[in-house]
Amino acid sequence: MTDIISTRVADVSGDEAMDGKAPLRRGYWSAVARDGRRLGKWFVAPTVILLLFIVVFPLAMQLYLSFTWWTPLDGVRWYRAFESFNAGDNYARLAVDSALWSAIWRTLVIMVFAVPAQFLLGLGLAYLFVDQFPGRKFFYSVLLTPMMIVPAVVGLMFFLVFQGTGPFNHTFGLPASFTWLTDVHRAMLSVIIADTWQWTPLMFLILLSGMLAVPPDQLLAARLLGGSSWQNFRKIILPRMKPVIAIALVLRSVECFKIFDLNFVMTKGGPGVETETVSLYLYKKTFADLDWAYVGAIGLVILFVLSAIAASGLAFASKKAKG
Amino acid sequence: MSSITLNRVTKRFDQFTALENLSLDILEGEFVALLGPSGCGKTTTMNMIAGLDEPSEGGIYFDGESLSGIPLQDRNIGFVFQNYAIFTHLSVYKNLAYGLEVRRLPKSEIERRVRAMADRMDLGKDLDRPATSLSVNELQKLAIGRSAVVEPRVFLLDEPLSSLDAGFRAYMRAELKVLQQEFGQTMIYVTHDQIEAMSLADKIAVIDKGRLMQYGSPLAVYDDPANRFVANFVGSPRINLVDGELRDEAGRRSLVLNGGGMIPLSGGVDADFARGAAVHGGSIGIRPQDIYFGDRRADDDIRLTGTVESLERVGPRRLAYIRMQEARFLAVDDRDELSVREEVAFHLVANKCMAFNLKTGERLRANS
Repeated sequence: MTDIISTRVADVSGDEAMDGKAPLRRGYWSAVARDGRRLGKWFVAPTVILLLFIVVFPLAMQLYLSFTWWTPLDGVRWYRAFESFNAGDNYARLAVDSALWSAIWRTLVIMVFAVPAQFLLGLGLAYLFVDQFPGRKFFYSVLLTPMMIVPAVVGLMFFLVFQGTGPFNHTFGLPASFTWLTDVHRAMLSVIIADTWQWTPLMFLILLSGMLAVPPDQLLAARLLGGSSWQNFRKIILPRMKPVIAIALVLRSVECFKIFDLNFVMTKGGPGVETETVSLYLYKKTFADLDWAYVGAIGLVILFVLSAIAASGLAFASKKAKG
Repeated sequence: MSSITLNRVTKRFDQFTALENLSLDILEGEFVALLGPSGCGKTTTMNMIAGLDEPSEGGIYFDGESLSGIPLQDRNIGFVFQNYAIFTHLSVYKNLAYGLEVRRLPKSEIERRVRAMADRMDLGKDLDRPATSLSVNELQKLAIGRSAVVEPRVFLLDEPLSSLDAGFRAYMRAELKVLQQEFGQTMIYVTHDQIEAMSLADKIAVIDKGRLMQYGSPLAVYDDPANRFVANFVGSPRINLVDGELRDEAGRRSLVLNGGGMIPLSGGVDADFARGAAVHGGSIGIRPQDIYFGDRRADDDIRLTGTVESLERVGPRRLAYIRMQEARFLAVDDRDELSVREEVAFHLVANKCMAFNLKTGERLRANS
């Protein structure tokens, strides 16, 4: 990369020197312009500074606070939080916080049902869209729409859909007493359905791009060798899609773990805490209890775990892509 | 192994007719080349045999049995792609085994047949390697082996040598010939390279603009082309074709060339043109090796004079470009005695001259 830049830059300055009319400029910037590496550093500098402020600094602050008892009610500035240093008590608390662990458990339940459902639906839809058919472009756009809607709005839509007197019950002839959002079991199901509705399109999009990348002549060769559609799908298409599948699953699993808007709007985590996910729990801890230091500790642990999952998934994908 | 019959096959794509009324009989075990310029319809023909396309009219038969409505995965056709279409995510073994695995043969049977085929293709020691690690040479063999292992009824090869460089192509040509003899398979080979067609095939079907121009052995197609197109397309160096107006003055026929000059007709070619008496525009075709310099060797031969325009050395012989007014002749100068800008007399072997109707391109023959 830097080599390309440096040769191009060298060419330009070389041309200038060659045609003789433009005098060779000297000074800091013309030196930078001729040196690809230095030029590159200037190009990335704004991004690096931005990242420093929106990622690195808040993370460091969070890490710092998580080792204290500090809350905004203390009346001391955050940078003086070291006065209530607690040597990791927040992390010890977290380990035995049963409300937290059951929130994690519920989040995992959503993930375990929603992600495979989205995957299978997305895969099936992608397979339909590999071939040309009349109206393909239209249906393609329609299918992608849910993904474009703000999650809170999707939450509101499904809040309305799943009312006792709402369109769902009406369509299927269920009585108004057959509630969804206030039922202990069906509330979770509603959230999973809403999430699946919204995010199947993303799965579909990723998987379709992977499926279209399978060389058509190899598929044709497989058919000519006598393979049925199912055999060719299983032996040619799926194995070639492994990296893409890994990326899609990791992406959706991580995203799903952060689910907030949908259940916040649909159920507020209820009934009781039946649909309270990790993000909702953190939200309550932050704004109801103002326990910022503790939230910081939980946030960091979750960040660490999710990063590990994502990294191993992506490592798998890139290994498959190379092999 | 099967014989293949194409009966009056026509293929239209919207307004465009890719193939018109093509009839071909390919016998069991025959190696047939479909030869023609790009866009002539040869690939369309191949695709219809394979089942990628259905004919608009007419039928295709294997051993007299219609293929219509049989999906391509059930036709049992060995298809070798131009770029081989090897399964790049699988090993050599898995590539060879694919056709057998989808047929659900027992594992031991698959293993036996794959190993036998691999040995035959010199891929025996590469079975566990990823297919992507093979050289072009080996990929070609893998592609053929993958198709051959399922014992297809017929082999279709779609310009399999066109992506190779010239030297390697000659080598693979020889290799293919050996394989074909070994398999004794019915094979159809699509190519636009007449040298490949000539050297490999038992029979050549020359196709132009969706029509079958000629179907015969390589020698027949070369020596006795059915029309001007075939004469022009087959043969290297290319045949000389001079076009003009036929004139008959007191029983002496001649061809007055379009750019001036004339060729007096005699011998066989005179008789050929005589038969097409109503024809006005005529064309004479003569292969470079049928033009000679020096003394006349037979009474009938046609004597002409021209200027040597340029000379080109091809191995031991030289090719001479001779200009006679607007007409140009390519001749073989095997005695190495010409020089550029020299005025020379040269002779066309009258019995080797081919007569064509200029308008239709059709061959004119005295005895048919």
